[in-house]
Amino acid sequence: MTPSPFVQTPPAANSTLLEVHDLSVHYGYGEAATKAVQNVSFRLAHGEFVGLVGESGSGKSTLGFALTGLSKPPAHIEKGRILFGGKDIASLDAEQLREQRHGGIAMVLQSGMNALNPVRSIRNHFVDIFRAHGHVERSRWTARATELIGKVELTPTVLDRFPGELSGGMRQRVSIALALSLEPELMVFDEPTTALDVLVQHAVMNTIIELQKSENFTAILISHDLGIVLESAQRVMVMHEGRIVEDAPARQILTNPQADYTRMLLSHYADPRAEVVELPGFADRQQRRAEGAARTEAATHTPTVSPRTRRTDQHAMIVENVSKVYPAPRRGEAPVRAVDNVSFTLEPGAALALVGASGSGKSTIAKLITAVEKPTSGSIRFGDLDVGTLNRRHFRKLHRDVQMVFQDPYSALNPLHTVEYALTRPVVNFTGLTGTEARRRVLELLDIVGLSPVEEFAAKLPHQLSGGQRQRVVIARALASDPQVIIADEPVSMLDVSLRAGVLALLEDLREQWGVSLLYITHDLLSARVVTDNIMVLNGGAVVETGNTAAVLQNPQDDYTIRLLDAIPNPRKDVA
Amino acid sequence: MTSTTAAPRGADGLAPARPGPTDAPHAPSPLATSLGFVARKLGLFALTLWAAVTVNFLLPRLMPGTPADAALAKLAQNGPVSEATKAAIEAQLGVPTGNIFEQYLAYLHQVITLDFGISYTFYPQSVGELVSAALPYTLVLVGLVTVVAFILGTLLGVLAAWKRGTWLDSVPTLVGSFMSAFPYFWTALLLLFFAGHVLRLFPTSGAYGPTAEPNLSFEFLGDALYHGVLPALTILITSLGGWILGMRNTMISTLGDDYVTFAEANGLKPRTIALRYAARNAILPNLTSFGLALGGVVGGSILVEQVFGYPGIGYLLFNAVTNQDYPLMQALFLMITVSVLIANFLVDILYGVLDPRTRR
Repeated sequence: MTPSPFVQTPPAANSTLLEVHDLSVHYGYGEAATKAVQNVSFRLAHGEFVGLVGESGSGKSTLGFALTGLSKPPAHIEKGRILFGGKDIASLDAEQLREQRHGGIAMVLQSGMNALNPVRSIRNHFVDIFRAHGHVERSRWTARATELIGKVELTPTVLDRFPGELSGGMRQRVSIALALSLEPELMVFDEPTTALDVLVQHAVMNTIIELQKSENFTAILISHDLGIVLESAQRVMVMHEGRIVEDAPARQILTNPQADYTRMLLSHYADPRAEVVELPGFADRQQRRAEGAARTEAATHTPTVSPRTRRTDQHAMIVENVSKVYPAPRRGEAPVRAVDNVSFTLEPGAALALVGASGSGKSTIAKLITAVEKPTSGSIRFGDLDVGTLNRRHFRKLHRDVQMVFQDPYSALNPLHTVEYALTRPVVNFTGLTGTEARRRVLELLDIVGLSPVEEFAAKLPHQLSGGQRQRVVIARALASDPQVIIADEPVSMLDVSLRAGVLALLEDLREQWGVSLLYITHDLLSARVVTDNIMVLNGGAVVETGNTAAVLQNPQDDYTIRLLDAIPNPRKDVA
Repeated sequence: MTSTTAAPRGADGLAPARPGPTDAPHAPSPLATSLGFVARKLGLFALTLWAAVTVNFLLPRLMPGTPADAALAKLAQNGPVSEATKAAIEAQLGVPTGNIFEQYLAYLHQVITLDFGISYTFYPQSVGELVSAALPYTLVLVGLVTVVAFILGTLLGVLAAWKRGTWLDSVPTLVGSFMSAFPYFWTALLLLFFAGHVLRLFPTSGAYGPTAEPNLSFEFLGDALYHGVLPALTILITSLGGWILGMRNTMISTLGDDYVTFAEANGLKPRTIALRYAARNAILPNLTSFGLALGGVVGGSILVEQVFGYPGIGYLLFNAVTNQDYPLMQALFLMITVSVLIANFLVDILYGVLDPRTRR
C-alpha cells in the first residue's frame, strides 16, 4: 500500500478530514440558475459515519457529486470551498483530481446496477483501476482483487463474470469492492441500496456498516430514507431545499429533533408491528373506524356523471389454486414457477395486501388477474367472467371493472398529452360519455383525487406535476371506468415519504366509501399495515402466510415474514 | 447503533463459502458457450442461405413464359420464326426438362458448381467468367473503401464525442453531414470534372490504362490503384459523414451512462474511459449498420461504377438489367443475397466477440 499523497501522518481520531465551507452549487448561471445547494458548511472528522438525508430535489446528490469532484456541466460550484486533507478540491486540475482518487475520495453510485461496464469482466474492472493508479504490483493483481471481492462477501469466481451475469445485489457489492480498491480515506455512498430488493438492501447495508468499521474509512451515506441512515450513521445531516437544516448525532435526531422538517420526516416512520400505527393524516384503522370519519375530501363526493353512481351488482374476485409456469429461460434449466398454487378471494370493498420480495410472484398475480397472462392451472373468476380463459374480445368487460395503478408515476403518463387527454380517453372508451359530459366526468375525477382547481390541473402536462400529483392522475385514470377492483402495484414506492400518506389515504377512502376493492402489492409492510385488512405473504410464488394484516405482522409465523420485518429500517428499534 | 437482528447473511445468495447462484454446477464453460454460440449462428446462416437460394429458384418459375419465349417473341416481330430457329434458340437458352423437383436438384448442382450458364449480352462468355473478372475490382474498391470509411468515421466520431463542443467536434460533424448530403453521382461528377478534367490529376474512367494487361505485377497494381482513386474518394466522401454522426451520437449517450461516471470516480485514465468504456459500448449498435453496408458491397455502387466506367459488379448488373440478360442477373442477384448473408453472419460473430451479453 502506497501512502496517500494527501495524508502525511497517520490520522489522529477526530482530526479534520473534510471541511466544507459555505458551499453553493448551481445548475446554470445568473438569475435562471437552479440553486441546488446553498451555503452549506460542515466538518467531517476521520473515521466518522455521517448520513445525509433529504427528499428528492433536496440537493443531497448534487452535494455528493460536488464533494467527489464529479459535478458535470451545467452544475458548477458557485462559491465556497471543499477542503479535503487541507486542499481545495475545486482548485485541482483534472489530472491531480484523477490521481487523488487513490487514497482520496471514492464514490459508490445510486444505480450500482448500471455502474459496471457491460462488456468488461469484473476482473478487468479491478485491473483498470490498478493500472490507472499503479498502487498494486502486477503480480499481486489477482490476489488483491480476490481479497477485495471477499471483503464484500462474494466468491472469487465472480471475477470472471460479466456484469450482466450478476444479480443487482452482487453488482452493487462489486461496485463497493471497486471503490474500496482505491484505499480511500472517504467513501461517499449515494443511495447505495435504493434500487435493490428489501432483503438484499438489508444485507448490502450490513456489509457497508461492517466494512466501515474494519477498513476504517470515513463515510457519507446519502439517502432519502431516514430509517436506513439512522440505523447506520453516527451523525445525521438533514437537507431540505439545498440547505442543511439539521446536523446532529443520530440519537439526538431521533429523540430530540430540532428542525420542523426533521420532525415531519420522522413522523412518517412507525413500526408495522406496533399495536396502534399512526401516520400523519392517518389515524389507526380501528380508532378511525369508530369515529367513522373520512380522511380525504374525496370520499364525500359521489360520482354524478357516471352511469353507475352506486354499484348494484358487486362481485368478488375469486382466485383458486392458480399456478403460472414460465418456460425455462435457457436450455437445460428448470421452468420457472412464478406463481405456485395460490388461492384467495377479494371481497367487494375489501383490501388485501400481497407482500413479498422481488421475484416472489406478486406482479405475476396482478398480470393474471388483469388477464394480461393466462394461468397455467387453476381458475380466476370475477362475477360471471372466467378471467383465466378470457379471450381478447371480452377484455373490455373485465377492464371496465379491474384497473391498475402502476408503480412509477413518472413513466405511467404520456409526457406529450395533457392530464385532460389522459383522463378523457378511458372515460370515452369505457363509459360512452362524449363531449361536455365526458369533460364533466374528467373534472369530477380530478376532484375525487383531490387535484383542485380542477380546470387548472386538467390543462397541465405531466412534467408540470409533482410525483404525488402524477400518481393522483394515474389513480383518477384508473377510476375513469368506475371500476370494482383496483390493483395498486407499489403505488407509493417512488414517492417521497411526505407524499405517501396522502396517496394511501385516497386509496383507502375510495375503498371504504365506494366499495372499490383494493389489491395492494408491496414490499413495504408499514403501508400494507395502514391500508389493508388482510395480508398474504408470498415467497417463491407460493403463499407462506396469510391472515389479518395486524395479526400477521404482530405475530409472524413464517421465517420469511420475520426476515422481511427485520429488514425494515426502524430507527426507533434501539430507543424503545 | 446497528441493526440488532441481522437477516441471515447472503440474502442475495452471497455467502462466501457457498457457491453463488451463477456458480451452479451445470454452468457451461466459456469455451463450450462460445462454440455453441458459433454453431447456432452457423446453423441459422445455413438455413437462411438455403431459403434464399430456393427463393431465387422459385421466383423465375412463378413468372409466365421462359427466356426462350421472350427471345422468340422479339424475333417474331420481324416476321415468322421457323421451327429450326425455334429449336436452335431453345437449345441455346435451355428449356427446363423434368419435373420441378428434378429441376431443383439440377439447379442446386449448378449453384454448388457455380455454373450459371452463358451470358446473353457478352455471348459467348460464361456468367462465371464475367463475374469472376468483375468481382475483384468491386471487392477491392467498394469493400476496402467501406471498411476504411467505417474505421475512419468511427474514430472521428469518438474524437468528436470525447471533445464535445470543441473544434474537434464541430468541424468533422459539420463537414461530414455537409458532404454526405451530396448525392453520389454529383460528388462523382464534381471530382471527375475538377480532379480528372481540369487538373488532370487522375484518369477519368476505367480500372486500368488502355495498354495495361491485368496481372499481378506491381506495375499493373499501381496502375489499378491510380485508376481507383477517384471512385474510392467519391464513396469515402459520401459515406464518411454517416459513420461520424452515428458514432458521435451513440458515444455521447454512453458517456452519460453510469459506468462512465463510476470509471471517472475511480480515477481511470481519460484514454481508458474514452476507449474501453464509452467507445467500446457505443460501437455496438453501429456494427449492425456496418454489417448492412458490407453486405451491400458486392452489389457494388452502380452509380459510381457507371459514372467512372469502372468494370465492377455494379457496372455488370447495370448492363445485365438493361439487356434483359437473365442468366447474368440471376447469378448476380444470388451473389448479392449470399454476400449480405455472409456479412450479417460475420457481424453476428463479431457481436459475440465484442458483447458478452449476446453470447448466451
